[in-house]
Amino acid sequence: MPELSVIGASHRTAPVEVRERLALAPGQVSALLAAMHAEKVFDEALVLSTCNRTELYVVPRAQADPLACFLDHVGRIRGAPPETPPGTFYRHDDTEAVRHVLRVAASLDSQIVGEHEILGQVKEAYRLAVEARTAGFLLNRLLHRAFRAGKRVRTETDLGRGSASVASAAVELATHVFSDLAGKTVLVVGAGRTAETAARALLGCGATNLIVANRTLDRARQLADAIARGPAEPVCGEDVSCPGADDDQPATCPALVAEAADEMRAEGGLPADAPQAAVHEVTAEAVGLDDLPAAVARADLVITSTSAAEPVLTHAALAPTLRRRRGALLLIDIAVPRDVDQRLGKLDNVYLYNIDDLDRLVARNLQRRRQEIPKAEAIVEDEVEEFARWLASRGVTPTIRLLQKRLEGIQQAQIARYGRRFAEADREQLEVFTRALCSQILHKPLALLKGLSADGSTSERLATADLIRRLFDLDSLDEEAGRDGHTPRQP
Amino acid sequence: MAEFLALGNWLLPLLYLALLVDYGATFFLRTRAHGREPWLLLVVAAHAALLAGRGWHEGRPPLTDTREILSVLALATAAVYAWIEFASGDRRTGVFVLLLAFLFQYTSSILLAGREMEVPAVSAGAAGVWYRLHVVPALVAYVAVAFAGVYGMLYLAASRSLRRHRFGVLFDRLPPLDRLGPMAWHALLTAFVSMTLAIAVAPLLFGGGGNEMTAKVVGKIVTGSAAWLVCAAAVLGRWVGKWGPSRISAIAVAGFVAVMALLVVSGLLS
Repeated sequence: MPELSVIGASHRTAPVEVRERLALAPGQVSALLAAMHAEKVFDEALVLSTCNRTELYVVPRAQADPLACFLDHVGRIRGAPPETPPGTFYRHDDTEAVRHVLRVAASLDSQIVGEHEILGQVKEAYRLAVEARTAGFLLNRLLHRAFRAGKRVRTETDLGRGSASVASAAVELATHVFSDLAGKTVLVVGAGRTAETAARALLGCGATNLIVANRTLDRARQLADAIARGPAEPVCGEDVSCPGADDDQPATCPALVAEAADEMRAEGGLPADAPQAAVHEVTAEAVGLDDLPAAVARADLVITSTSAAEPVLTHAALAPTLRRRRGALLLIDIAVPRDVDQRLGKLDNVYLYNIDDLDRLVARNLQRRRQEIPKAEAIVEDEVEEFARWLASRGVTPTIRLLQKRLEGIQQAQIARYGRRFAEADREQLEVFTRALCSQILHKPLALLKGLSADGSTSERLATADLIRRLFDLDSLDEEAGRDGHTPRQP
Repeated sequence: MAEFLALGNWLLPLLYLALLVDYGATFFLRTRAHGREPWLLLVVAAHAALLAGRGWHEGRPPLTDTREILSVLALATAAVYAWIEFASGDRRTGVFVLLLAFLFQYTSSILLAGREMEVPAVSAGAAGVWYRLHVVPALVAYVAVAFAGVYGMLYLAASRSLRRHRFGVLFDRLPPLDRLGPMAWHALLTAFVSMTLAIAVAPLLFGGGGNEMTAKVVGKIVTGSAAWLVCAAAVLGRWVGKWGPSRISAIAVAGFVAVMALLVVSGLLS
């Protein structure tokens, strides 16, 4: 029986219509974990459910079928068992399972390799498992190892560097013009989905003022309110994060904003049912297209995505205003046909980008990310090896061997110290006596370990072995053995 | 002591070169882009100690000719940059500023070599308060002009790369435009104020008669006036003509090139 298994379906094995049947909201994950826990299907379990994957990490019990149980509970939550074609689910055991979770946390298994959200999602899954009391000794260690691997990949490689979507490319461009988006005004012209996402990302990264311009003022008002209310549900494949967060600089990414809001909720600073909102104040305003020149004059960043056949921002209307402005203006035109007169991009202090420029930036970043994959894989392998060594060291046999060695060492040291006080004839008796004493001391721990090895749960066995190793400082003995030429075992 | 000063004179350019390599790695290889490290401060401290040692050994401030002034310029450039780096925690522009410091010190060391044992006579003027009130602001002004030139050049390079949609090294490595532009402007403003003070004090220092209009003096007057004119044009353009950062940066670069050329020419002529 494996010590650890992962069973799941992801974008690699299941199309979206299957994944959506398996996807679970946080509340459903908690309910599912509690129900499965009650049925004693596993020692430990964690469910990771994102738009691209639903996975169950378990420390299984003998004769249990975690997948059948999982599907049964998902069926109860959904009202009907989910139909899953053959080949939907994959299963990895032991070291392969460890490798899988580390690759997931390092964003190597993501649809957009290097995207930043997955590590937060793994942390959220872990939090739910801890709350449901289904994360025990092994999953605790494993998940912390996964967080470590994810962080290392992010800081030691360029896997997550640069924007990977049009919306985040807008944010990346903004950070090359403005050192700080605080106090900056974002003008959204039109009501395109990508422009909306980009505006949300810019506000999430610190911009504080929003103007929405639309042909109909009512629609502009609706959109302004919706954007200013805070981040919407994450859009699958939209990796919007603030560049600079991976440069060891503080950044207010949507994910971090959400994390901060969670912390505030936990501390009682925000009501539990408060809507998700940006931590900083955002002022929102709606204008009609007639007021566009005045709005552009006040804006620092303009994102246009109307369906107009002719440019909405014309040279004749805007050039006189833009020539007078001192600060830089970033114009991002993601509409086709284009909304911005190309001559505006030639004005001093005006930086104009169209959808092709953004696509080119994204393509370049994705290419760079692909080049970083081998480095990231090496980090994951390094962490997998360390975890495997640690797991092996918590086995019953090595623990018993080290425990006997520890007691034998104590016995020999004490005989060496006090043996001279005894007569030559008594020394043999002393040796017999101390050996018997040590055997008596060892008897219960060894019986416990052997018992757990025969019929105990994996989690209990590992936790007990770990406790004994710490009580008797067996890891130092292991390290000594490593220095003497044996394989070192690191905690 | 003389041997120690001679050794220091040769070591300093090497120390700046080592810093240049380190900051070059930061810019091109993105290593340690955000950090405050002690090496720059150590080099600045060593440089200051060497200049103080030379002043003590020769019994006068080491500010009497272009060679010594170049060394002080190198020190001031590195020290001001160290302060900027400490304040911002961003070392990405260091390679450009330290290139300047290295060139100043390298030129100074080459020119100073072979004259270690010669101790020029100290004029009465060189020891006075007016002299210091003239020389110190002038030095600050030249350092500020150098900073304005470097940051103006970086602004223009970053702006050009953004305007042409080139997502290359400059796009990746340079700080944002709204950090570079104000740096060039504030440096020019500092240069303007300091040079105005230096020029205002100059008649009090040299106006007493008895000062010959040597090539050295003429060179200083021409260079100082040119620097002041550049700064004044930028200040006037910004405040009256509402010039944007692009034009201010262009002025800063042009002014820096002109002032450095005049400094070198006047140094060669003296």
